[in-house]
Amino acid sequence: MPRHYDLCARVQNGFRARLRRIAVPDTKMNLAIANVLYKEGFIASVNRGDHIQPDTDYVSTTPDNIATRRLWLELKYNNDEPVLKKMSAVSKPSKKIVMKVEELQSLAAGNRAQFIKGLQPGEIAILTTNYGVLELRDALEKGAGGEVLCRAI
Amino acid sequence: MARQRTGAARIPATARVPGIDSPTKLHDLSAIHPLLDHYPRQADQEGNMNLATEKLWPSNPPLDDMLKTQGEDDIDESTLPHGLTKDDLKRFLKRTLVVKRTSNMTTAGKIPSMYALVVVGNGQGIAGYGEGKDDEVARAVRKATNRAMRNLTAFDRYDDRTIYHDIDHKFHATKIQFRSRPPGFGNRCNHYIHEICSCIGILDISAKVWGSRNPMNVIKATFEAFTQKQKLPEDIARGRGKRVVDVQHTYYGASE
Repeated sequence: MPRHYDLCARVQNGFRARLRRIAVPDTKMNLAIANVLYKEGFIASVNRGDHIQPDTDYVSTTPDNIATRRLWLELKYNNDEPVLKKMSAVSKPSKKIVMKVEELQSLAAGNRAQFIKGLQPGEIAILTTNYGVLELRDALEKGAGGEVLCRAI
Repeated sequence: MARQRTGAARIPATARVPGIDSPTKLHDLSAIHPLLDHYPRQADQEGNMNLATEKLWPSNPPLDDMLKTQGEDDIDESTLPHGLTKDDLKRFLKRTLVVKRTSNMTTAGKIPSMYALVVVGNGQGIAGYGEGKDDEVARAVRKATNRAMRNLTAFDRYDDRTIYHDIDHKFHATKIQFRSRPPGFGNRCNHYIHEICSCIGILDISAKVWGSRNPMNVIKATFEAFTQKQKLPEDIARGRGKRVVDVQHTYYGASE
């Protein structure tokens, strides 16, 4: 069961290698984080597919094909530069980071909270809340705190 | 007996120059006079002699090669960026930040020379740095200043007072962390960075130099960081396909 930092590494490496699209393990958490990245505009699309290529038509996940299931993320580049420069995990198995709404507000303002640096202009943080996996500002709108999974800039 | 003057008899002033009846009648100064104008001139096509004709003995100004050994490089106004003129350059801030005595070891021995690093800026976002070497400090500083004038670049500033976001930059063994700060904070940083910020026009910044604090490298690292590493919100938004809204100025009101 790959953790969220596995996705961070794959996405960051894919952008650095200037790949067009990358295949990551097809899990609910990966899908949720990929959806947030898509909504924020870091990736162009999220597709389910094979280990070779994305599906053109719908293919249901069965015990026969489960091993080949992947999520394909189409990466974006602008002005000869990757749109996502860095994606790193915040909460790690060695140190879990769970934040309250006040701490999230201070992160959003650019100030430090719990030894985590504040967000810079253009930076996002993805956290899992009781309302699901959300970006930091969406979580603040809902008034929800939670475990801060990763940050992307 | 009255002493008599030897030599020529006294000649009245009017008779000394032929063609002048009285001292009050002035000679036509635009026409050539055989006695008053010594240098012979050539007549023009109509046969009139006038002073506006080519000189028989033209002047020989010193050659450019001779002038250049002084160390003064003339700046061509057309090469200046951002529509600057030489008058603008005169009003630029000039800060001599590094002056060192270097020596070149040759078979003949140690040949010393003076090195200078000068930072130049208008305090409104345009600045540059230049290095110069010469036997004398003043000449080295002048060379460095001229090179700095030629290497001017425009720097992006958020709100014309600070950088857009925190920057971490490494140049050789010098690592610098810059932090964007709110208005009124001031430039709380290394003294070299402080001078560069005053030349650029950055009013609020916090910076920490880690590793080597070699002055030349701190200055070069600062310039590199400000030109390479700043990302403007408009460019970020364009890459992600988002709209940028300036909340600070329109919603919360403009900051001074």
